[in-house]
Amino acid sequence: MNPLRTPFWGVEWAWLFYLLAALALAALALGLWEKISLWAQGRRAAPVASHKHPLGAILADVFLGRRIWRGEASAGLMHLMLLWGFLGLFIGTCAVAVDHYLVSFLQGKIYLWFSAGLEVCGLLLVMGLLLALTRRWLLPVSRLERRPDDTLLPLWLLAVACGGFMVEAARLAASRPPWEDWSFVGYGLSGFFPSAQAARELFPWLWWAHAIISLGFIAWLPWSKLAHAIAAPASLYLQGQPLAVLAVAAEEGDLAALGLRHLLHLDACTRCGRCVEVCPAAQAGEPFSPRDLLRRARRQARLKYSPLYRLPWLRGRRQALLERDRAADWEVAWYCTTCRACLEVCPVQAAPIEMIRKLRAGLVEQGSTVPPQLMDVLEKLHRYGNPWLAKKGAKAGWAQGRDIPDLRKSGPEVDWLYFVGCTTSIDTRAQGMARALSDVFTHCGVSFGTLGKKEPCCGDIARRLGEQGLMEEQIEATQALLNKQGLTRIICTSPHCLDTIKKVHPLFTEEGLPLQVLHYSQMLHRLWQQGRLFFDHPLPLKVTYHDPCFLARHNRLVDEPRQLLRAIPGLELVEMADHGLNSLCCGGGGGRMWHEIPGQANLAVRRLEQAAATGAELVVTACPLCLIMLEDARKTGGFEDKFAIIDLSELAARALGLAATDREAETNP
Amino acid sequence: MKILVLVKNVPEVAEAELEIDQGALDLEDLEMVVNEWDNYAVEEAVRITEASGGEVHLMTLGNEDDEDVLRRGLAMGAHAASHLCDEAFDGSDPATLARVIAAAVKDGGYDLILTGVQSADLGQASTGVLLAQELGLPHATMAIALEPGAGEVVVTRELENNTSEKVALPLPALVTVQSGINQPRYVSIMGIRKVRKMTIEQIEADDLGLAEESLGAAASMVDSQSLALPPMGEGAQMLEGGLDSVCDQAAAILREKGGLA
Repeated sequence: MNPLRTPFWGVEWAWLFYLLAALALAALALGLWEKISLWAQGRRAAPVASHKHPLGAILADVFLGRRIWRGEASAGLMHLMLLWGFLGLFIGTCAVAVDHYLVSFLQGKIYLWFSAGLEVCGLLLVMGLLLALTRRWLLPVSRLERRPDDTLLPLWLLAVACGGFMVEAARLAASRPPWEDWSFVGYGLSGFFPSAQAARELFPWLWWAHAIISLGFIAWLPWSKLAHAIAAPASLYLQGQPLAVLAVAAEEGDLAALGLRHLLHLDACTRCGRCVEVCPAAQAGEPFSPRDLLRRARRQARLKYSPLYRLPWLRGRRQALLERDRAADWEVAWYCTTCRACLEVCPVQAAPIEMIRKLRAGLVEQGSTVPPQLMDVLEKLHRYGNPWLAKKGAKAGWAQGRDIPDLRKSGPEVDWLYFVGCTTSIDTRAQGMARALSDVFTHCGVSFGTLGKKEPCCGDIARRLGEQGLMEEQIEATQALLNKQGLTRIICTSPHCLDTIKKVHPLFTEEGLPLQVLHYSQMLHRLWQQGRLFFDHPLPLKVTYHDPCFLARHNRLVDEPRQLLRAIPGLELVEMADHGLNSLCCGGGGGRMWHEIPGQANLAVRRLEQAAATGAELVVTACPLCLIMLEDARKTGGFEDKFAIIDLSELAARALGLAATDREAETNP
Repeated sequence: MKILVLVKNVPEVAEAELEIDQGALDLEDLEMVVNEWDNYAVEEAVRITEASGGEVHLMTLGNEDDEDVLRRGLAMGAHAASHLCDEAFDGSDPATLARVIAAAVKDGGYDLILTGVQSADLGQASTGVLLAQELGLPHATMAIALEPGAGEVVVTRELENNTSEKVALPLPALVTVQSGINQPRYVSIMGIRKVRKMTIEQIEADDLGLAEESLGAAASMVDSQSLALPPMGEGAQMLEGGLDSVCDQAAAILREKGGLA
């Protein structure tokens, strides 16, 4: 006897099944159509380039869920079992359909292996679902939410999978085909039926229950978070898109007016909460969560652009919901430090940094909800070219007594432009970095100059605060100056200047000279490798290194500063709990340096608690904003007896015996 | 409601190092900004029209560069702007300025005229009320709240020692606006770019039909004699030494002078 299975065996009213299936497929199609029409509108708003990421890596991320395994094996295992169980059963169902309607091939040996394969997939699915429910309800993993569909969806799928096994078991118990042990799960369960007769009587009931539950699931699929099955691979495919200069209209921070890439990100998000777990603001207890922002953005995009919400009876509700979500966004728009920790851990590369920028751009254009402190900063940036002082030409105070060429006046008879930056030029604590660096460069024989007391702002702060127009003006002015003076090789003190000059300036300089932009730690590293920088003053200190977000995460510079530290004789480097690409933000990014939010937490104190745990006597960083934030937290958080805060530039000067730098820093703290 | 707001461009001096050059402030290194009180007045006017309709007109009197202050107001949501710009106006005292402005305003059909309480540069706080006099309008000063109603406006005035007074003025009326009446919105660069093409009405002395002898310094009763920076005081005492020592010395001085109980 040839092993095979007869579809609709023992079931009457097959037409009813086809009717229900048609309804379910219609719901599925409607859901997909809604999504695709939304994405298509996003594509018109902001076109995307083809993928910029190695295809192999993207496929591995999709089919092995590599980013899900990171830091949490049980999550990776759960996803792998669900993905492959689901995928296998989907392929199996398609195969049955092909076999039934087109070409019959599921018989004999093929059928037996096919049956056994489906058993495995069904088991994987069930185990994956049980693990998912365990993680959310029994362990529980704290980052996981418990919204109704978070529980209903796995329970529903579980009903589908278990129902499938029960139908199979009843069929085997009723008909007892000689090959039944290939369907090993169903075979095992078939023993529970008291008799073949009972199984035969129960079978239609089980079959219909399984059919209805399964069809219901199919109808729900595109409306549920399982839509990420399509959106997440697309989102991963579109990661690493190049920055682009968009028309003003496309930049107007309406979160509903997002481009294709962001719309895919929104649907790719399954609210796993890894972003919340690493967000410095959320973790410090501030009322901000990248996940909630994404969820609201998704809802706004749907409300505004979904063809369904154009139906007359949904319009009124649409407006009310839109306004509620916008108000909620405005409340939290200024908490984000743009530290990028969320994107680092997001399994689908969907975290909302760009959305925050768009949101802020919208608030700045609209004007009336910009916090007064930030208005003041933006006014200063506009009028005086710095966020600190209502005074022009105040950027060379640190250089008194040093003979540094002013490259605004002379041409490029030096090798490097040292771009000091607003904060390093003006803040008394950060000025120590500029003095130390100029001394180190001089010591190593680097030929450099600065833009003197009228160095322009690079536009980074305006960018982070969403002041697009000001950012463009500042970038254009800076680039015009660099072009005029023929300056192309730039060393930045601040990782923030580095990020903007390196990534955004080129977008505005079509005919400009190609820029070579380095962070000072890269320059020092280069000098050290060339043997021009040799630390000859031992510093027997136990230090820990705080990675600035814009150096580590945004620009992947993690090893260079550490190698420099290890090159200092006697120095012992110990790491904090969060370091490297997982660094914890000091709280000074995204404009928060200049903005006290009522009820804000001191993010830098949380960072210093990690530093204290290492037992280090010195906390080293490589960014003027980190330096200031950590120094303040050291004083306000009661760490004054425990350690000092120093910048890598200052430490380098010390390890070179350039003591003058130290003395100045002490008399001018 | 048709609202006119008078605005003025003034030098920002809070953190600047000032220099007097030939009896006048050297404006070379100073940034010109909207007079703070006027900014509140513009915001208040724009909010009133946003809530209940109408239009906001802006007017300034100043040189060509002062057009910026009008562009800024237009970006905030004002609907039209006029620029009184003529060398003949130079050297006018507040009463003369009020006559000039009155000539430009009298046929405008405004229901409400708002000005700042005073200007940050000269601080005379009189052009507004003199203008009300010239136009024969009722006026209220130091407004910290405005409630426009049918045919009248109720003004809350800030008085000494945290007291306030509510007055009702029949429209049309003139009100001078105190700082803090609202939180003025941010004006983005993009916002200013968007109003770059709006035309601004240019008004010269000839357009107002005013005789030359009624304008400028010649017609003014107040004449500026001299401008001086405050003399450097001698009360400062610099403490030397390390942090602890400086703190001890400071505490000792406070104790000695009765500052610490």
